[in-house]
Amino acid sequence: MSFFLQLLVAGIATGALYALMAMGFVLVYRATRVVNFAIGEFLLVGGYLTYTLNLVLPLPWAMVLTLPLAFAFGLLVERGFVRPLLGRNVVAVIMATIGLALALDGATQLAWGPDQKYLEGQLPVLTLALGELILPSRSVWSLLLALPAALALVYALKRSRYGVLVRAVAESEVAALAMKIPAPRIVALVWGLSAALAAVGGALLAGLSGVGPHLIAMGLMVFPVAILGGMDSVGGALLAGMLVGVAESLSRGYLEALVPGITEATPFLIVLLVLLARPYGLFGEREIERV
Amino acid sequence: MLAVENLKVVYRGVILALDGVTLRVEPGEAVAVLGPNGAGKSTLVRALGGLLANYEGRVLDGRILLGDAEITHAGPLAPAREGLTAVLEGRPVFRYLTVMENLRAAGHRLPRARLAREIEEVLARFPRLAERRHEQAGYLSGGEQQMLILGMALLTEPRFLVVDEPSLGLAPRLVADLFQRLRQLQRERGLALVLVEQNARAALAIVDRVYVLERGRVVFEGRREEAERDVDVLEFYLGEGPAGYRQARRYRRRKRWV
Repeated sequence: MSFFLQLLVAGIATGALYALMAMGFVLVYRATRVVNFAIGEFLLVGGYLTYTLNLVLPLPWAMVLTLPLAFAFGLLVERGFVRPLLGRNVVAVIMATIGLALALDGATQLAWGPDQKYLEGQLPVLTLALGELILPSRSVWSLLLALPAALALVYALKRSRYGVLVRAVAESEVAALAMKIPAPRIVALVWGLSAALAAVGGALLAGLSGVGPHLIAMGLMVFPVAILGGMDSVGGALLAGMLVGVAESLSRGYLEALVPGITEATPFLIVLLVLLARPYGLFGEREIERV
Repeated sequence: MLAVENLKVVYRGVILALDGVTLRVEPGEAVAVLGPNGAGKSTLVRALGGLLANYEGRVLDGRILLGDAEITHAGPLAPAREGLTAVLEGRPVFRYLTVMENLRAAGHRLPRARLAREIEEVLARFPRLAERRHEQAGYLSGGEQQMLILGMALLTEPRFLVVDEPSLGLAPRLVADLFQRLRQLQRERGLALVLVEQNARAALAIVDRVYVLERGRVVFEGRREEAERDVDVLEFYLGEGPAGYRQARRYRRRKRWV
């Protein structure tokens, strides 16, 4: 039983990270209908930014400073790749993100070299012991950072002034512009936010396993999570992230010994099964149709 | 004052939708722009709202002046800064937002306390909206959506309000009611109203002056009384007058207006 609980909590902690990254991805998809294939590289950039800052700063400060830089990076991507293609077919933008992904792969290798980098120092140790249940420090930090951030994001989108504007722009840019809503600024903000959220994921994962191209693969987890949640539901991404994290963790604990390699496939198997029953994902928005 | 001078608009670089339109609207005045399908009415609205780029259109020639400012190529947010709000065709409310959220989105530039007051005023003006304030706008009826979009337009605090085909798809009684409300709004707030319509009879009832567009050009311009006396306008836009349908067809073939 305690083994199960241990796996469960570890899964939720990883899931919170997945959720955070997926929420940024979903936000961009909602606001612009762009599937950002460079999301893995956003993680990578976050990781390398943290590593670079960490060369001169203690780790916690490096992570904090990474956020505004990653936000600026997101704005830059929006300016450079998304806005020039505004009004074109959305597929053009999606292809551009694939190009961006490849360019960033190369650029980061040129700048930082192909070898694995490790961060100096660590976050304050916060190991939590509840009876037999022992939460490693990294899980505690994931939960502590990702969960409140994710919940705050859901709340802000639902209730805050900016949240309403983001949803308005997401539904129809023309209608938003006609109501004097500064749509381009909102879209830029969304990209910045998405990059910052990915960077949080990148930085936390980097603390765990170092910085290197393997972070891109971690970024790919965003896709099953987002699809499971329903692609355009930020709250759905949060729940789906947890679900995938837990499934992965349980699969690693129980199934991996029987079927080696199954853990990599587990999230996608779940997606496949869920989509068979619910084609819009768990929380995908349904078209409003009035007859 | 709103002045459109010799405006030419093309879509996709080749389709000429406006071919030299000139019109003026004084502050506080109500003007109707009438015309059949494809006359360029909606294009005019999009151009005034600075939204042509979103429809793959652009201004080829001419200019749009609002007061002292030229807004021809100034982008989608410039007309707003100068106090012009364009309500596009088809009641483009945000269908997944609730009525309240729609109003809040439209009034986002107002300070918080003002916004709350103004929203209450809009809801008092349109009691149906107050009843359904927490429902998603996509589930409102056509008439309710039209009221919502007008309420939203008011929250943007326009001095010039351009409305594209508010009567579209509404029952005649609703249209009459809606237009009376529009007229009342225009008077109370001292707005300049540009009512772009196919429903000429209803529109004529509430405006001071009339422009008639056809194939991207202004083919008639005058006071309401003149329009109501003009034989051509009567025949083609009101379906009344001396000539029957057959003669009207022949008249059209002479292409006097092209």
